[in-house]
Amino acid sequence: MAEWNAFYHNEDEDEEQEEGEQTSGDYKVTGRDSLVFLVDASKEMFIKGEDGELSNFDMTMQVVRSVYTTKIISSYRDLIALVFYGTEQSKNPRNSFKHVYVYHDLDEPGATRVRDLDALLGDKGEKLAAETMGSGETSLGDALWCCANLYSDIKYRLSHKRLMIFTCRDDPHGGNSTKDRQAHTKARDLKETGVMIDLMHLMKPGGFDVSLYFRDIVSPAEDESELGLQLKPCDKLDDLRKRVLAKEQKKRSLARIKLILDEGINMAVGLYATAVTARKPGAVKLYRETNEQVRSKTRTFQTQTGSLLLPSEIKKAQVYGKKKIVMERDEVDAIKKFDDPGLYLIGFKPMEKLKLHHHIRPAIFLYPEDDQVKGSACLFSALLKKCSEKNVFAVCRCTPRRNIPPRFVALVPQKEEVDDGKVQTKPPGFNVIFLPYADDIRNLDIPHCPIASPIQVNKMKEIVSKLRFKYRSDAFENPVIQQHYRNLEALALDMVAPEETDDLIMPKVEQMDIRLGPLIDEFKNMVYPFNYNPDVKPAAKRKTDDGGGSEKKPKVEVSEEELKNHMKNGTIGKLTVPLLKDACKQFGIRVAGSKKQELIDALVAHLGS
Amino acid sequence: DFRASALVLCMDVGFSMSNSAPGDESHFDLAKKIIQKFVQRQVFAETKEELALVLFGTDSTKNPLHRDDQYQNIIVHRHLMVADFELLEEIENQIHPESQQADWLDALVVCMDLLQTETKGKKYDRLNIALLTNFSTASSSDNLDIIIGNLKKAGITLQFFLPFPLDEDEQGGEDGDSRGPGHQGAGKGLSSEQQNALSMMKHIMLSLDEEEGLDEVYSFRNALQELHMFKRIETRPMAWPCLLTIGSSLSIRIVGYKAVTEEKRKKTWMTIDAQSHQSEDVKKETVYCLDDDNETEVQKDNIIQGFRYGSDIVPFSKVDQEQMKYKHDGKCFAVLGFSKRNLVQRHLFMGNQVLKIFAAKDDEHAGIALSALIRALDELKMVAVVRYAYNRSSNPQVGAAFPFIKKNYECLMYVQLPFTEDLRQFTFPSLENNKKVTPSETQLSAVDSLIDSMMLVEEDENGETDDLFRVHHIPNPDFQRLFQCLHHRAVNPSAPLPPIEPWLKAALERPEVISERCRAPLEQIKKNFPLTEVEKKKPLKTSAQIYGKDVDPARDFCTLVRQKSLPFGEVCQQLTQRIEQLLSNKNTQYYMKSITCIQAFREQSVKLENAELYNSYIQSLKSSVPSRGLEVFWDLLRQGMIRLLTSFLVAEEKEEEAMAASPAGDVGDVDDLVCFHITVICSIRIF
Repeated sequence: MAEWNAFYHNEDEDEEQEEGEQTSGDYKVTGRDSLVFLVDASKEMFIKGEDGELSNFDMTMQVVRSVYTTKIISSYRDLIALVFYGTEQSKNPRNSFKHVYVYHDLDEPGATRVRDLDALLGDKGEKLAAETMGSGETSLGDALWCCANLYSDIKYRLSHKRLMIFTCRDDPHGGNSTKDRQAHTKARDLKETGVMIDLMHLMKPGGFDVSLYFRDIVSPAEDESELGLQLKPCDKLDDLRKRVLAKEQKKRSLARIKLILDEGINMAVGLYATAVTARKPGAVKLYRETNEQVRSKTRTFQTQTGSLLLPSEIKKAQVYGKKKIVMERDEVDAIKKFDDPGLYLIGFKPMEKLKLHHHIRPAIFLYPEDDQVKGSACLFSALLKKCSEKNVFAVCRCTPRRNIPPRFVALVPQKEEVDDGKVQTKPPGFNVIFLPYADDIRNLDIPHCPIASPIQVNKMKEIVSKLRFKYRSDAFENPVIQQHYRNLEALALDMVAPEETDDLIMPKVEQMDIRLGPLIDEFKNMVYPFNYNPDVKPAAKRKTDDGGGSEKKPKVEVSEEELKNHMKNGTIGKLTVPLLKDACKQFGIRVAGSKKQELIDALVAHLGS
Repeated sequence: DFRASALVLCMDVGFSMSNSAPGDESHFDLAKKIIQKFVQRQVFAETKEELALVLFGTDSTKNPLHRDDQYQNIIVHRHLMVADFELLEEIENQIHPESQQADWLDALVVCMDLLQTETKGKKYDRLNIALLTNFSTASSSDNLDIIIGNLKKAGITLQFFLPFPLDEDEQGGEDGDSRGPGHQGAGKGLSSEQQNALSMMKHIMLSLDEEEGLDEVYSFRNALQELHMFKRIETRPMAWPCLLTIGSSLSIRIVGYKAVTEEKRKKTWMTIDAQSHQSEDVKKETVYCLDDDNETEVQKDNIIQGFRYGSDIVPFSKVDQEQMKYKHDGKCFAVLGFSKRNLVQRHLFMGNQVLKIFAAKDDEHAGIALSALIRALDELKMVAVVRYAYNRSSNPQVGAAFPFIKKNYECLMYVQLPFTEDLRQFTFPSLENNKKVTPSETQLSAVDSLIDSMMLVEEDENGETDDLFRVHHIPNPDFQRLFQCLHHRAVNPSAPLPPIEPWLKAALERPEVISERCRAPLEQIKKNFPLTEVEKKKPLKTSAQIYGKDVDPARDFCTLVRQKSLPFGEVCQQLTQRIEQLLSNKNTQYYMKSITCIQAFREQSVKLENAELYNSYIQSLKSSVPSRGLEVFWDLLRQGMIRLLTSFLVAEEKEEEAMAASPAGDVGDVDDLVCFHITVICSIRIF
């Protein structure tokens, strides 16, 4: 590990992970997730919108591709399949299903598969699809059956199985009730084996009527609110992508613990990591000759005798005050134990008591687990509602796992929010904000802070307004990770050079300059002297010291008129402190302090701007 | 070389110090505790401060000023040096109440002399003497002014620690409520010697510092309260100078400091040999091998690195990687744009720190420019979204700079924001639209009054708020507990670890007032919200999934190991989970199944020459036998294992020894089995 660590070390500050205390996103996975894209390839899917809008097929392929590449980065071990139905040609394991084309069977996504998908994009993709698959009859039942077979050929244990149907036809069999019935049966079979079926219905003229046919195909929504079926059909790429991503990610809790109001009042809650710093994955070690992966084995042995050491033959030690202090391994763990795992309620505080800068690690999300303690969701819901109404947060002592010292957290209520398309944008629950201990807050010597005048502030406000944009948390890709994967992609696919990465966190300097126009110079004239260059360190200071006070000090006097002009233009701050002092002397003003602002205030008061 | 300071602890161990009112700790005990706690803090904070210890009232005499009958019964116990455990042990074991008395002024002179001779030629920021006494000995004030003069000349400061509080004269009668129980009122209970000494002390302290001299006089109890916490380890803030840029032509010289950051333990545990206690005796070795049947070992030189791209593994040398990696221009704090503050959500803050950004030191113009930005943002309720890079070799971040205006200063506060890759868009079922979990009005009002009764922040009649639970004033209990245990172990090597200190426990609990107040509302919650634990039957189902439909975990385990589709460790983990499940049924049939599993586990471990997992599992299983009442199972296991071993050809004799070595009926002794397995493994490797 040490070698590659050195290669992508971040800053000194954020790397070291305290013996697994960090809330990393991946909780012990007991199997792999799987996702089957079942895509309608009928003629209707290829119809382009007016004004050259994307066809439903093209839109779907773009989203599928982005899921592939996301999976490669976030969870390459998940399995993905891509199956088309309503095709002319057939391609499936035993070719027992007509008009079903398995483009990719269930497997880990890799470079070749991404290439395959690229081939299906755009006009040439449409052409390729027409040549290889064509459009033909539809039997959703056969398609679902074929998908069911994909699962049975898998040698891995699957923890989460999801199938997404992409179509713009709400009556796929055109009223053929035998086919309808067969598809319903197959859908039920799939659902019984634990497959979640989602519908990603796409826009068609006249609207998509879910109740016509698909209502019984898809899995019911988790909360029985039928939210899923009220969704409007997608007609925009972004919407579809959002909708797919929201469904595609399986929620995995970091831990399931008790939220304890008092002895005997325990709710079950799950902790979820909703934002986890993504890092470049570690390198794997390969045998030079064959490029096959090698495994590592670690042994602990006694240097003197060469024999293997058992855990009981090892102790732990730290040195303080020249003394080696020895503990048993289980004592080292025991020292970290304060509580059993749980969130212990201390009390509540008004929201304004939550300091913005009291931040020590990313927040996690809290949601009730009614299947562990029945009644949790109701109490949780009441607590959430009241906290949010009263604008308070709860303070809890948090021990997420055994043998972890407690941290205090703020439970900040978050109400559910949905967008226009009824897609959830914020889930209901508490955000868990970790609060700093006294040791986490550093004492700083606060430097002297001069204060800008209202005119200077106003000029800056103009600048700020010119550069306004609507921040979105998902708008910035990590250039380091993106570059890494582009490089790998290029190597994996024998490309001449990696694709260019857009560094989205680079300031768009030219555009900013254009937008700002003369504002920058106006502001600089207000705050900086004419020869001031912030790019170089001021060297002038040294000289005056060396001169021993005997050197000539050119007396520059400022006239009353100049001063008034500076005040009017808000540029008085540009004058140096000695100049301002002289000016004060000149007008016989006595100033209490010698700070710049005090001098300026006094002058302004005297000359009455 | 830089030395922070030098301090002489000067403690009265004389005869009167061991007096105490019945049930109270003696003055001696309290003073000793103060010294212990103080030294302990010094040791764990690893300060460079030098300490000396002078005792007076001792039966013997040992100090450089001792001539004839002068400066008797005073011992320089330790000369100036950095505090260490030796000193702590000496305090623990060698300092006892003694039967003589000595003049505290004499002791003070010995301390002054010590400081002057032992600091000669070196530079110290601070010279200090801390005197702990109850002033029971008469002392002459003849040389008082000379002493004061010398203290001033040498720049030595004084601190006094007394068994009684000082503030008597000023606050006359109000003894009762200003002090806790166990405090004697100074004025009344004091002897004439004590009164006399007190006035001499005041004279000295006020001569040294007219205004605040008396602030350096502490009562034993107050001092102990202040000292109960281990000192936080100070980190010198590191300045990070940079330019804040807006577009191509506006730059502001700034400097950043870490203001809030998750402070980690500074030291890590080293692994040592249990016998020799030497870390050099333990070596960890990692070897690499191919994933073939023979597990062919591969030399380090023949290993190259690669990365996964989904299912593909791409060989990618370090040189190529370095050449092709994302590169940037280094240190930067560049504005990308400005956004409404409420669009930056608190729960999406990333990273482990918050920086405070000030204008560059001594640059008035930068100060004004930054102030204009801070105030503009504050008035518009906006933030700057910036690209931040610490230096060339660190990864750039996107983050937000918030305006922060306090009474005496202003700055920007920088915090990291997420990248697209960091976010996980989870959807959760709606709580409001789900009738099954919607709380009733009664339930809601129960929660309402609970919240009211548990408000930690209160407003008094002057409109000032009082926070009963300031988390950022609580010391990190992890450090406190660690130091407590380290100290305890260092002084009492063979004693078990002590319980958590009561003050620390109390600091982490709900405040007493709140507990009192919320009792009734909590009862209401209990009444109105039935909470019932759901029986767990899930694990069985999942394990059935792990190991296929017919449940034969031992066989499946072997199959999985053979297939190698999962790492050995993972397969073992699944197996041990299964064993644990089986063991939760106290029934011979399940016991036998577990034993079959353990035998398979052992067999495969031997085959793969990887006994670590097996051994550590057996160890932990063994240690849990008494608490889980698994004695019957354990006996069965031992019999089963021995039978198995008998069929093992390689080491027939040794295993007979093993059998003989384990006394029948004894629950322990898997250690023997474990050791034995290792010898088996080793012998396989040798052949």
